Amino acid sequence: MASGSPAPGQANASVADAPPGGRLAAPSLGLATALSLAFVLGVVALGLLSGSSGWGLPGHDILWKIRVPRVLAACGTGAALALAGAIIQLVTRNPLGDPQVLGVTGGASVGAVLAILLAPAGSHFTLELGAMLGALASMALVFTLAWRNLERGLQLGAPSGTAIVLLVGVMVGTACGAVVSFVLALAGDAQLRPMVFWLIGDLNGATLWPPVWAAVGLALLLVYPTARELDWLARGDSWAWTLGVPVARRRRLAIFAACLATGAAVATAGSIGFVGLVAPHAVRLLGLRSARQLLPFSALWGGGFLVLADTLARTVLAPTQLPVGVVSAAVGVPFFLFLMLRRRG
Amino acid sequence: MTPPGEWQPRSVEIEHLSLRAGGKRDGRLLCRELDVRFSPGERWVILGPNGAGKSTLLMALAGLIAPDVGTVVLGDRHLPRWHGRDLARARAWCPQFWLDPFPATAWETVASAVLATDPRRAAATVEDVARHWLAQLDAVDLAARDVRFLSGGERQRVALATTFAQGAPLILLDEPTSHLDWSHQGLLRDRLDDWSSQGGTVLAAVHDVNLAWLLATHALLLDGNGNALYGRREQVLTPETIGSAYGLPVRLLSDGESRWFDAELEHRP
Repeated sequence: MASGSPAPGQANASVADAPPGGRLAAPSLGLATALSLAFVLGVVALGLLSGSSGWGLPGHDILWKIRVPRVLAACGTGAALALAGAIIQLVTRNPLGDPQVLGVTGGASVGAVLAILLAPAGSHFTLELGAMLGALASMALVFTLAWRNLERGLQLGAPSGTAIVLLVGVMVGTACGAVVSFVLALAGDAQLRPMVFWLIGDLNGATLWPPVWAAVGLALLLVYPTARELDWLARGDSWAWTLGVPVARRRRLAIFAACLATGAAVATAGSIGFVGLVAPHAVRLLGLRSARQLLPFSALWGGGFLVLADTLARTVLAPTQLPVGVVSAAVGVPFFLFLMLRRRG
Repeated sequence: MTPPGEWQPRSVEIEHLSLRAGGKRDGRLLCRELDVRFSPGERWVILGPNGAGKSTLLMALAGLIAPDVGTVVLGDRHLPRWHGRDLARARAWCPQFWLDPFPATAWETVASAVLATDPRRAAATVEDVARHWLAQLDAVDLAARDVRFLSGGERQRVALATTFAQGAPLILLDEPTSHLDWSHQGLLRDRLDDWSSQGGTVLAAVHDVNLAWLLATHALLLDGNGNALYGRREQVLTPETIGSAYGLPVRLLSDGESRWFDAELEHRP
């Protein structure tokens, strides 16, 4: 008998029968909290104390007018993207879920490059405003197209509502990509550089941090009280429904919260990839698997991660400042591979 | 372990129920104006050829599908009048397939059903209840294992533990015996016996006619053309009825108390 399962009433099979990788460590919430807070505070301190001019405590103005807003913007952006990624992975039941699949990033990109193309030089916050408007417009479009389908998935034979919202998101994103390419073709040389940097994801000059923090807070507030139900949704819409979960309502609310967080993050710092995908998985590998733990800890780790990536982006090749998107991929990929391969041993 | 606080067995009744394949208006007719009452203490098996509507009927009873014609009455109320949370305490549904996209231990999976019906229960006792039901299904060893890496039979036992742990007297099991080896089929029989002797109602879609005979007190046989037979198992499960539902000759081998249906697969039309 291949399974090796003992007959009822007989002595249990030895624990050593478990295949490698099949056993999960019991999470220790206290340890994980301490570790996460230490990580975030450490990278925030590092981010405040290091700059293109070298290490150490900077002057009053540099600290309060440049470093603090930038670190706060990085932290909020990373937290928003990671939170959105965690939510999207749960409601679409897709471990490869990422904020970019919702099409919101694409919409924000269109808004941002149009703002760079059309705005008169020297105007303030037009880029952020353009990105925010683009994000809102694409969010409205995705929701309008997929709204009715979000109820589905309970009926037999109907395609799952989450599949529809993903496909609509991808289509809207692809259409936005075409518009962005069109705008890039129209843009002059002086406009191309900020456009490309924005598209890669850049925190240079990002000082407008309160909106993204507010978005993170609001998204958590919307999703956290019913976070447990997201775990059940991940195991199947129908099963969650039989447990008394109002499936369509929960899913709409969760996707709205994810869109909100993504939109604010993208408006703040451009389209930074990778954080939203990786932070939730890193948290899962820490042993924090239930949505109640996953959501806040993803935000913590995403925030810390982006502060670290941004600090590296502005110091490694100083005085040249790299777009943070480059560094987040360069740091994130090996980090994630390490975490994953370590578990397989 | 004593059942959770609100253990209140109710009968479930289908009235003039007609179901069509896929829940669609133009779908194939699965059952026509069916009236059956499933009472506390009864163990029902639902039998029929592939696509006869076994899963669809279970989903209609769970409230997942609103039938075009007819109603489902649980206790004293029509199913759509039930509030979701109360319904979760009254009936549990164990699907045929489970999705496990993310890492989760077996006991966490079972615990989610406990929390759904008893959200204020303390964390420690939730784990106790989950482990109790894993033990009842001979799955104690699986408690700390990742459900994504379990074998088919192991995952099925975790799924059954999850359904029992929900604590709802009416349990609707879609193919509960699939992937189970002989000894665990026997174990499931004992658990279903315990369940019905405490006043619980069991409805299970089963493929194996002989296994169905062993599990059930009652049977509902669908023939895939909208006709249904139902009643006590010895009335419904005869060589003639089974043969006509599945469309092939069936012999009954009887040896004192045991009975064995033997399909003549080589003589099918």
